[in-house]
Amino acid sequence: MPLDTSTYNLALLRVDGRRWNELRRVHAQIRTQAAADGSSYLEMGHTKVMCVVTGPSEPGPRRGTGGGGAGGGGAAAGAGAKAEVVVSIVIAGFSSVDRKRHGRGDKRTLELQSTVANALAASLHTHLFPHSQVNISLHVLSQDGSLLAALINAATLACVDAGIPMTDYVAACTAGSTSTYAANDEGADPLLDLNHQEEQELPGLTVATLGESDRVVVLVCESRVQVSRLEGMLAVGVDGCKQVREILDRVVREKGRRMVQEGTVEKGIGLNEMDVD
Amino acid sequence: MASLKRSLDSDPFSANISSKVYVRSTKSGKVQKIVREVYLRQDIPCSSRLCQTCIKTAPRDAAGRPTTFVLSEAPAGTSVFPQGHYLVPDTNAFLTAMDLFEQSAAFYDVIVLQVVLEEVRNRSLPLYNRLIGLTKSEDKRFYVFFNEFRLETHVARQEGESVNDRNDRAVRKAVAWYGQHLARTKAKTVPAVVMLSNDRDNLRKAKQEGISACSLAEYVKQLRDGDRLLDMIPESGDQGIVKEKRPGEPLYPEYFTMSKMMTGVKNGLLHQGIFNVSPYNYLEGSIRVPAFPKPLLILGRENINRAIDGDLVVVEVLPKDQWKEPSTQVIEEDTITKNENPDAEETADLVSEKERKALQEEVKRTHNKTTEGHAQPTAKVVGVVKRNWRQYVGHIDQSSVSQSTQQGRKQDTVFVIPMDKKIPKIRLRTRQVAELVGKRILVAIDAWDRGSRHPIGHFVRCLGELETKAAETEALLLEYDVQYRPFPKTVLDCLPKEGHDWRVPENMDDPGWRDREDLRGLLICSIDPIGCQDIDDALHSRPLPNGNIEVGVHIADVSHFVKPNNAMDTEASIRGTTVYMVDKRIDMLPMLLGTDLCSLKPYVERYAFSVLWEMTTDADIVNVRFTKSVIKSREAFSYEQAQLRVDDQSQQDELTKSIRTLLALSRKLKQKRLDAGALSLSSPEVKVQMESETSDPIDVKTKELLDTMSLVEEFMLLANVSVARKIYEAFPQTAILRRHGAPPKTNFDELANQLRVKRGLNLSVESSRALADSLDACVDPKEPFFNTLARIMATRCMMAAEYFCSGTQAYPEFRHYGLASEIYTHFTSPIRRYADLVAHRQLAAAIGYEAVHPSVRSRGKLEAVCKNINVRHRNAQLAGRASIAYYVGQALRGKAAEEDGFVLKIFSNGFVVLVPRFGIEALIRLRDLGDPEPAAEYDAETYTLKTSGSRELTVELFQKVRVKVTDQKDEATGKRGVKMELLSVY
Ligand SMILES: [Zn+2]
Repeated sequence: MPLDTSTYNLALLRVDGRRWNELRRVHAQIRTQAAADGSSYLEMGHTKVMCVVTGPSEPGPRRGTGGGGAGGGGAAAGAGAKAEVVVSIVIAGFSSVDRKRHGRGDKRTLELQSTVANALAASLHTHLFPHSQVNISLHVLSQDGSLLAALINAATLACVDAGIPMTDYVAACTAGSTSTYAANDEGADPLLDLNHQEEQELPGLTVATLGESDRVVVLVCESRVQVSRLEGMLAVGVDGCKQVREILDRVVREKGRRMVQEGTVEKGIGLNEMDVD
Repeated sequence: MASLKRSLDSDPFSANISSKVYVRSTKSGKVQKIVREVYLRQDIPCSSRLCQTCIKTAPRDAAGRPTTFVLSEAPAGTSVFPQGHYLVPDTNAFLTAMDLFEQSAAFYDVIVLQVVLEEVRNRSLPLYNRLIGLTKSEDKRFYVFFNEFRLETHVARQEGESVNDRNDRAVRKAVAWYGQHLARTKAKTVPAVVMLSNDRDNLRKAKQEGISACSLAEYVKQLRDGDRLLDMIPESGDQGIVKEKRPGEPLYPEYFTMSKMMTGVKNGLLHQGIFNVSPYNYLEGSIRVPAFPKPLLILGRENINRAIDGDLVVVEVLPKDQWKEPSTQVIEEDTITKNENPDAEETADLVSEKERKALQEEVKRTHNKTTEGHAQPTAKVVGVVKRNWRQYVGHIDQSSVSQSTQQGRKQDTVFVIPMDKKIPKIRLRTRQVAELVGKRILVAIDAWDRGSRHPIGHFVRCLGELETKAAETEALLLEYDVQYRPFPKTVLDCLPKEGHDWRVPENMDDPGWRDREDLRGLLICSIDPIGCQDIDDALHSRPLPNGNIEVGVHIADVSHFVKPNNAMDTEASIRGTTVYMVDKRIDMLPMLLGTDLCSLKPYVERYAFSVLWEMTTDADIVNVRFTKSVIKSREAFSYEQAQLRVDDQSQQDELTKSIRTLLALSRKLKQKRLDAGALSLSSPEVKVQMESETSDPIDVKTKELLDTMSLVEEFMLLANVSVARKIYEAFPQTAILRRHGAPPKTNFDELANQLRVKRGLNLSVESSRALADSLDACVDPKEPFFNTLARIMATRCMMAAEYFCSGTQAYPEFRHYGLASEIYTHFTSPIRRYADLVAHRQLAAAIGYEAVHPSVRSRGKLEAVCKNINVRHRNAQLAGRASIAYYVGQALRGKAAEEDGFVLKIFSNGFVVLVPRFGIEALIRLRDLGDPEPAAEYDAETYTLKTSGSRELTVELFQKVRVKVTDQKDEATGKRGVKMELLSVY
């Protein structure tokens, strides 16, 4: 087996050869499913997710679990003043090394669903679509850390593709620290974008920001870490989100340009709306 | 339809990062395919101070500090590389010769490749840790080069290529890159980059590719200090040195294959167990296997078949006509094989003439016997599952050194006599015989071939002159695997920043005071041996309004300072215990904690973990509670001081009164324990008195027993039992407890028989109660010491107490046999025992003081901790005893003392005498009795040895004798030891 995260200080290199402030390779595509209202595919390193968005549309019959619903900032279900964002996540059994089956009602999955729904609801203009529902369906094909961040990023792209009005991109990434909680190392470097091994061995958090601003819309930290280290981690995370936003933006613009070239969009009409330059 | 195919060329990264994905698979029980990304880059520096290019792209940490460059601009040269050189060892070089790399004479400027580091880690974690230690040492200049992450040196495994071949290729590629890279620096003299490998194929390929490469031996020969270092290269690892196998029949039978052994064990035809050598006869071993109630005997060189004490072996039981009685003869390797020539042709018979003679007499003896009932099953070793080889301390057998080689630099073969009697002589090839004779040296065993009578080893390190205090103390520490190196910086970094100025916070709102009771008002004091600095425990008592008494035991709150899983905790868990030597203490925790911040010193406020009981005046417990607290000890007494104070009736202050109360209660507690069947065992304990200035030993005293010692002991036992109950209740699966198994009845067979035959006494062993009672009855009206003697011998039949994790045993097995307690743990000495620290954490969690740390809850982890501390605990005891024995010898040096002794064990050619005053025992052989050696008749039935000829006397078991004790050096072997001479028989 390769070395573990404790070797970072030997040469300031992480287990996969990155420096502390580097993202993994991010690869994304939008409009991957022509039949859907909006769709995307996103890879952050080896974490691979697919997203399909339908809606806004009339709400279907409510299912018992209903996925993670967020009625646009806590609007009571049924009031219908805003569109409801419903997220469902399916984690494929083959996505992780141990090939564990994740049930739909799995606690972790439910939590991911509600976090993604709340994050997107903060940006989507749900008030424009009363009495309707936006369905975001996410499929996890491969897991190698930073899963929540990848899900949020994929959902953002798919929503853009679906043409749902939104304030700005919701871009997410993770941040960590190079030594464990127990080591209590004040001089530990913060880390950007954790892979699976780093998530297992080191403290970390997931952060998402809105567009180019420093507005944090999601902050999840499930590991123990000294407060003194948190600030550095958060700063690196927010900076990472901006890099991710750049990448997402490039993907969207590139797709727009190609669509214009291929004639999917009629020239002249809607060019301004597409805001492609 | 859009395609999901990825385009690799559209990477958004800046120029110096390439990204690539490669696949790795691993087999860990299940087959798992692990896919990892590797980001290849060009900004990983070479770290040579000569290089001007790398410095520009040197990586910086988050604070913007660039990494320092490690490799010297003018590295040392060798005879072949006068221009200076950097070393690039391969995995095997580190695995076989880590000792070499730790030398201070050579091996500087070493490049450790990532691929090598990974392999070392996978093969041996201890070696990996040592290697990491080297990379952190500033003066050794070891640099870890992440070759797998650098674009130019990354190597992908080719189809059909083995992992080893790929790794070798990666090493060569990195060496080649370094060469080219350094050449570009345009420095005046460019150092050579030299690959170190013992793999012939790898060396050959390197030569083909034009890379400088050497085998370890070739390289070391180029160094100035080469001869000395050459000895440290393991034998098997180097083709250049190992002589061709001599023709002729191998001496020992071949081992079975592993699969044959395993099926045999499964079918019950073969048996597996730990091989133990008899302390009195090196040609007799025994092995306990589950299938037989008594251990199997393994007699003679051929049957022992190269097993060494402690090895896990597989044996085959011999036919019944070959069953024998255990030897009644002392056979010592030193005397029998004294004249063997280490360089002699090994074609001679396996069993030497002398050994044969010794065995012959054994056979004669058993043949004369008609009582076949005594014969024990015997067995022969057919294979070794796991060697228990470690490094051994010893010295060169002077007699094995030939005179002609003492001056020259020629390689010579000598015997090393290990300090541990159970380890056979080791054959050692060295070029520095002259320097090493008369020194304590550390050697490692490399192999034991079928063709070699003795195991072959290599020299590791010299500890210093024989019989100097420093060398002998270090030797003991090494023999008992005591971690005696100073605490590393990472550990010291975990200490409170205030250092000795740390105080209990004055402000009671400070987080340190959270959930702590303020017990500063109580009259607490500590009672310990004279000069005790690490005060673990303190006590108090006070009358309660309802007529009962409140008793408190306050233990140093070590868990407040040592947090789970930090570097200090890890180090403490490895050390396991503080080791007390006569003139030295090897601490488990850094001094600052042990002797100051944790230590419950008098007159200052300290954090404590308190156990508080309400007791009736009959010492019945009404209730018990546990709390973290702050205390202020009023006084630190020595046992003697406390005793004087208690006995002095003019002292009527509150503190003295409270000690008297404690004393009264402790007597009642002790009586209750004894009524329940607790054993009072004995081992001869002595104390060495040292001259304060020179710390030379001047006298040996038997330890005195005071009431105040028993006072402290009783309350500590009580606290331990109370805590054990509490943590077991809170954590039924994972409480750390201590048990003492009931000894198997067969353990006492011989002693019971001896007592019956010699004194007409009956030893009953049905229960600890019965044993305690029958030991009480073991009195000889004429000899007051006889009772102690019986207890000493009974103690040796006992099992060792052990730590365990409660989930691993059924409740009835928790029992502490010696203390006659259902459940027990160690809680009262967290400064010097790791088990107590774990118990503290568990108790803190049990009373809701803090959250349960995962490491205190994980059963797997606790089991590993228990296993380690059980070994450490035992080693610490042995090391302490060995240290006393050494100093007793020193105290006796040049003197001759006449003392009374008792016969403890009897053989057909000698007997063992115990001298209680010094706590030592020694063997007196027939040949020590007179010249010529007197003839002797040994009666095993009555344990009597009758000599005739040059000296006529009758020696019986348990007999009191008068002996002259001296400290002597055996001129032939250079071994020093206590010698006893029999003066008269009472
Ligand atoms: Zn360079």
